[in-house]
Amino acid sequence: MKRAHIIAIAVVAVAIGILISASQDVTTYANFKQAVQSGDRVKLVGQLVKDKPVEYNPEKDPNYLAFYLRDGAGEVRKVVLRAGKPQDFERSEQVVLTGQMEGETFMAADMLLKCPSKYKDQEVYVRSEKG
Amino acid sequence: MEYIGEHLLPGKLGHFFVVFSFVAALLACVSYFLATRRRELPEYAGWRNLGRFAFLLHGMATLGVIGTLFYILVRKYYEYQYAWANVSDDLPFQYTFSAFWKEQQGSFLLWSFWHIVLGVALILRAGRWEAPVLTLLALAEVFIASMILGLYFGDFRFGASPFDLLRQTMDAPVFAQADYLTQIKGNGLNPLLQNYWMTIHPPTLFLGFASTIVPFSYAVAGLWLREHKDWLKPALSWSLFSGAILGTGILMGGAWAYEALSFGGYWAWDPVENSSLVPWITLVAGIHTNLIARNTGYSIRSTYAFYLITFILVLYSTYLTRSGILGDTSAHAFTEMGLGIQLVLFMAVFSLLGLVLWFSRWKSVPDAGKEEGGASREFWMFIGALVLFFSAVLITGATSLPVWNKLMQWINPDYVGAALKDPVEHHNRYQLWIAVFIGALTGIAQWLRYGERNERVWMKNFVRQVLIAAGAGIALSALNAWWLNIHAWQYYALLFAAMFTLSANLNYIITFIKGNLQLAGSAFSHIGFGALVLGILGTGLNKAWISSNAFAMEGLIEGLGNDDLNKNILLLKEAPMPMQGNFEATYLKDTVERQTRTFSVRFKKRDAQGAYTDETFVLQPNVMYNRQFTEVVASNPSTKHYLTHDIFTHVSSLPKAELDPEFARAQEDSLRFEPYEAAVGDTIFTRKHYLVLDGYTKQPAHPEYKPEKGDLAFGLNLRAYALEDTLGYPAAPMLYIRPRQGGFTLPAGVGQLQLRIRLTEASMRQWLAMEEELPYQNVPMKEGQTVDFQGYKIRFAKANRDIRHPNYAPEPNDIAVAADLEISAPDGRTAKASPVYLIRANQPFSLKDEAALFGLHFRFENIDPQKGILTIAMAQASMDQRKIPLEIAANAPRSDYIVLEAIVFPGINLVWAGSILMLFGLALSMWRRLREKRVAPGL
Repeated sequence: MKRAHIIAIAVVAVAIGILISASQDVTTYANFKQAVQSGDRVKLVGQLVKDKPVEYNPEKDPNYLAFYLRDGAGEVRKVVLRAGKPQDFERSEQVVLTGQMEGETFMAADMLLKCPSKYKDQEVYVRSEKG
Repeated sequence: MEYIGEHLLPGKLGHFFVVFSFVAALLACVSYFLATRRRELPEYAGWRNLGRFAFLLHGMATLGVIGTLFYILVRKYYEYQYAWANVSDDLPFQYTFSAFWKEQQGSFLLWSFWHIVLGVALILRAGRWEAPVLTLLALAEVFIASMILGLYFGDFRFGASPFDLLRQTMDAPVFAQADYLTQIKGNGLNPLLQNYWMTIHPPTLFLGFASTIVPFSYAVAGLWLREHKDWLKPALSWSLFSGAILGTGILMGGAWAYEALSFGGYWAWDPVENSSLVPWITLVAGIHTNLIARNTGYSIRSTYAFYLITFILVLYSTYLTRSGILGDTSAHAFTEMGLGIQLVLFMAVFSLLGLVLWFSRWKSVPDAGKEEGGASREFWMFIGALVLFFSAVLITGATSLPVWNKLMQWINPDYVGAALKDPVEHHNRYQLWIAVFIGALTGIAQWLRYGERNERVWMKNFVRQVLIAAGAGIALSALNAWWLNIHAWQYYALLFAAMFTLSANLNYIITFIKGNLQLAGSAFSHIGFGALVLGILGTGLNKAWISSNAFAMEGLIEGLGNDDLNKNILLLKEAPMPMQGNFEATYLKDTVERQTRTFSVRFKKRDAQGAYTDETFVLQPNVMYNRQFTEVVASNPSTKHYLTHDIFTHVSSLPKAELDPEFARAQEDSLRFEPYEAAVGDTIFTRKHYLVLDGYTKQPAHPEYKPEKGDLAFGLNLRAYALEDTLGYPAAPMLYIRPRQGGFTLPAGVGQLQLRIRLTEASMRQWLAMEEELPYQNVPMKEGQTVDFQGYKIRFAKANRDIRHPNYAPEPNDIAVAADLEISAPDGRTAKASPVYLIRANQPFSLKDEAALFGLHFRFENIDPQKGILTIAMAQASMDQRKIPLEIAANAPRSDYIVLEAIVFPGINLVWAGSILMLFGLALSMWRRLREKRVAPGL
């Protein structure tokens, strides 16, 4: 057997090994119901419920943010993020969380916000005054 | 409707250039293709010349597009959507470039621009490779030009034109008016992009992306013409160039993220970062197999493959970042323009071309014959290239999950998408081993020879050198392990691999090439790689949040008390806060300029005994508000640089009252203000505090006050104390009257005492009344004359047309004269005053001035031009005796704090130095190869 063939076989073997082991790093998008069922770390996409309170008192604890999120299935639950509140949090149109359920709350380890309007304002500013 | 004031010509011209550029690229592609097919025939020169001509026309037309678009941006023609969305009247000129390539069309034009520059260089230098290489380059240009065509075929839009009019792209009531242009203003550039990185990063990165087409085209040309060896030499120089530039572009992106964005790092394994890194990795793999192929004749097929893949990955990266498919996996924001299908087509055509040629020519690629020796350099370099390829596959695979999800959902709409649990952890875990292998291989392979078959000849020396490097590597690892916070054995492996390649390559420079640095390109790159890995270990493992204070926060924390996550600290104004790492931080003050609010935070370090050390510095992170000052749109960090580490800070949050004006107003309204009054020197007592009025000022300063010409402003200087305390806090409430806008009051707060002090309409009335009640006395004077007034000598120095009065805002048709007065007191002190006489719209006005030092007030009352008599009204009165009403509220919520994140990055300079050395090595190798060409042509 030529060395090239040995390398090829080794490459394929390593590739398969990595693929199998890396598949454990993958999680699925879930809603609250599925997060409760799995009890595992999941990705969750939802929207901030704007008429429920956002709790952030930096004077008390600058690393505690709690709010309510509505998931894709319409279920609303409390979410706790152990970090500071991002500047444009209230304006977010979509929130992507990574975390797991702990009791009745979703403990998020990571949060990504989508605020497209931040980059593209779709309103025509009308001049308030001439000149 | 007939619209007023629109400039339609630039748009029509621009659109003409766009179409022309597309057609010329197509013509260039076809001509060069035919020239290549007839390269042995006499018609060759004719077709080639037509190709050149068409390509140059295409280049000029593209420059025309760029020029027209730039003109529209510079002239701020808001009738064009591109100008309206990206620039504004107050945007400084230097950011026009950023605005230009912020949008997809602009960045396609930038890409195209570099292709044209590279194409001209190839026309001049490529010789017999010109025709096939330019065929491919022109084909790519056809696709890129099509992205901005903006032609409609039924409902399908082919390309997105940068010259669309605003009123065509948007439906708004304002367009019902013929003079809509007088009523709209530009959106302006996102403040995040208003920095110099946005000016230099995209052009560099795009030159890097654009230049990957050259090795690709050479590879296609080699396969196409079945000349599998000759192309290797020019391709190598171009690949080294491309590697150096693309690497620089990626590095600039990292530096931008670290220096100017609040990501808190230089690399986050974000899909956008990954998709620009991956082509660089495959390109470097290609450079290595290219070297093998040039020196031994092995690995030609893999060189082809790597160069083809590199460009295809560049196209894939373009697709990922521009089609909007990354959606919720990236922190970067993109605007989707519906170019997805065109991008897929672009990618598909070039991928198919590469694949079909590569497989169809498989047999004709020459074999080097025997198998390479197990102790030869080419064998281990090839293994290294394979490891790099693995790295690229792994990163691409993980980054492509959103593409996979979309494909699956297309087949099965109920498919639930998959995503990485923790991308950073995932990538780090696998890439760590890639780096270990690369470190080991770059150390070992340097000491092997090409074409080695007799393993015994060199074995002795090889073993000796590798042992030296391993020994030095172990010593360096031990040394660095001392400061690195290593907690897992895998990191020891990585550290050793990095130190091993560093030692081996340093040894190579010293003992093998004997300091001949021209030959040291590869060694430099490998040393740079080792230093980079060490820097990554330092910043990754030793990165520490000093912005936490477990003690101060104890008992306040709700939920789980996970100390690792406490990354933010609350800093009250002027209250020193002890933090991790023996630091003490104090939020000193904030200042507002344009839309930027800058916070000064002083850091002091204590030694182990608790005494202050000399290490003290002030950092100035800032936040940027939108133009309405209603929200914060960017938080910019500030970093203290040391040789060994950086201290990085940014404001992660502000009080709600500082972010939301409505909330602030509601908060202000809910306060219970109580009326008081005071004259200068008076003390006001409230229930828990007392305040001393030190004085009035007509030039008040307030963080929110931006003086304008014509303002009448008035402020108090107060000191506030808690009862039974002697520590005073300054407070300076003010009010001002701005012509045609009205009066405004700006309250002052003393956060420490939770006090809020404001002036009211009553204060304003009192202040104006005081002015009116002055006992003025008219004194007729002539220029040069001196009069006595209340014991002061007042000289009328000059009637001056040059008005410097702070309350004077010039208007057309004004007639204004200032009386320059010089005042000297009996005790010898002097002062100056310049009251102004003004005729505006046939109405006389007088702008008073005063010599506050002496309590003297002057008005310029009248001018008699016939007799040359100038009447000055003078009064002496101290306003200090009069009481001014003001209002004070106690128990105001504190809004004088910031939430700060502060991170120490040890070894960050190793990251920069290592990367730069790596890229310098690539550039050095390219330079040597270009020189070699000149010295010995045909080699």
